[in-house]
Amino acid sequence: MHSLILEAVLLMALIAITLVVIFDKDLLAAVVTYCAFSFITMFLYIVMGAPDVAFTEAVIGVISTIYFVISLRNIDRRCK
Amino acid sequence: MAKKIKNAIPVVIIAIVLAAAFARFDFLPSIGDPDAPAHTRTSDYYIEHAVKDTNSPNYVTAVIVDYRAFDTMLETTVMFLAGLGVVILLASRPDPKARIIKPRKFTENREHLGAPAYQSINKDVMIKIIEPLILIYAVYVLFHGEVSLGGGFQAGALIGMVYIIDTMVSPGTISLIRLPKERSVALAGAGTFIYTLTGILTLVGGGVFLEYGKLPFSMSFEEKHSTGILMVEVGVTIGVMATIITILNAIHERARFDDDK
Repeated sequence: MHSLILEAVLLMALIAITLVVIFDKDLLAAVVTYCAFSFITMFLYIVMGAPDVAFTEAVIGVISTIYFVISLRNIDRRCK
Repeated sequence: MAKKIKNAIPVVIIAIVLAAAFARFDFLPSIGDPDAPAHTRTSDYYIEHAVKDTNSPNYVTAVIVDYRAFDTMLETTVMFLAGLGVVILLASRPDPKARIIKPRKFTENREHLGAPAYQSINKDVMIKIIEPLILIYAVYVLFHGEVSLGGGFQAGALIGMVYIIDTMVSPGTISLIRLPKERSVALAGAGTFIYTLTGILTLVGGGVFLEYGKLPFSMSFEEKHSTGILMVEVGVTIGVMATIITILNAIHERARFDDDK
């Protein structure tokens, strides 16, 4: 039961983060918020009992965020 | 008006696909259902036989690298091809006449942020403390992956992360290693090749492709399995690491082309 409540909270956080990512005007803020998305997903995987996948998600979430940040640094547009 | 209809087409397609997906939701087993097909057919076999068959205490590693080794091999190949695709898409020269590659100076980027270029505490902490720790952890994850969490993919991603940190913190002049994109692509291919070579070695030993018990080494059955899994994991590590570095290089190089324009 407790894990169900935890999952519900995490899933709602995912929806909230997604909305922020979509509607944020600042691209850098959106990218960083997207990193938080993979962070919450990591917790979701741990709750579901898949620590291997959670580990991969943690590492890959950071790396993809870095890719986004580097790409952002190289384009002129900073906001939508 | 025609443009509006054109824009609406993807939305309609996505709506149809989503509707089809949601229509099938009832037939899927719910999360954690013990009677789901995934838990009744193969799982029991893996749980009962994994340690005896593969000599790997970690079921996840046993399934991924041993029972479904062929699957993982093609996954590594897909990743290598993805890196190659990024290179071809991003780093191909848009204009053959634009040959002058101007190295992007990091100082420029920092100065407009108001930070001193090469006296950052971030850099010291990153290079002296965080990078060695991540590297040690990556090696631990690789060699201990058979027993605990992790394995080749995670270790490769961690080493790739160290390279990314190193590139971002000390670009240009001072850095531990530099891998141009041609070499990193080749390295990604080499990682995939190590995986395939393990399979070929088992063929030489008289077994089926990737049947670690038939490796042509003078070892016991358990040691052969451990060695085979480790070889495969090393291949995956190199492949993932090199793919990450390749994508990073491609993004950087693309930025240089765009500067030239």
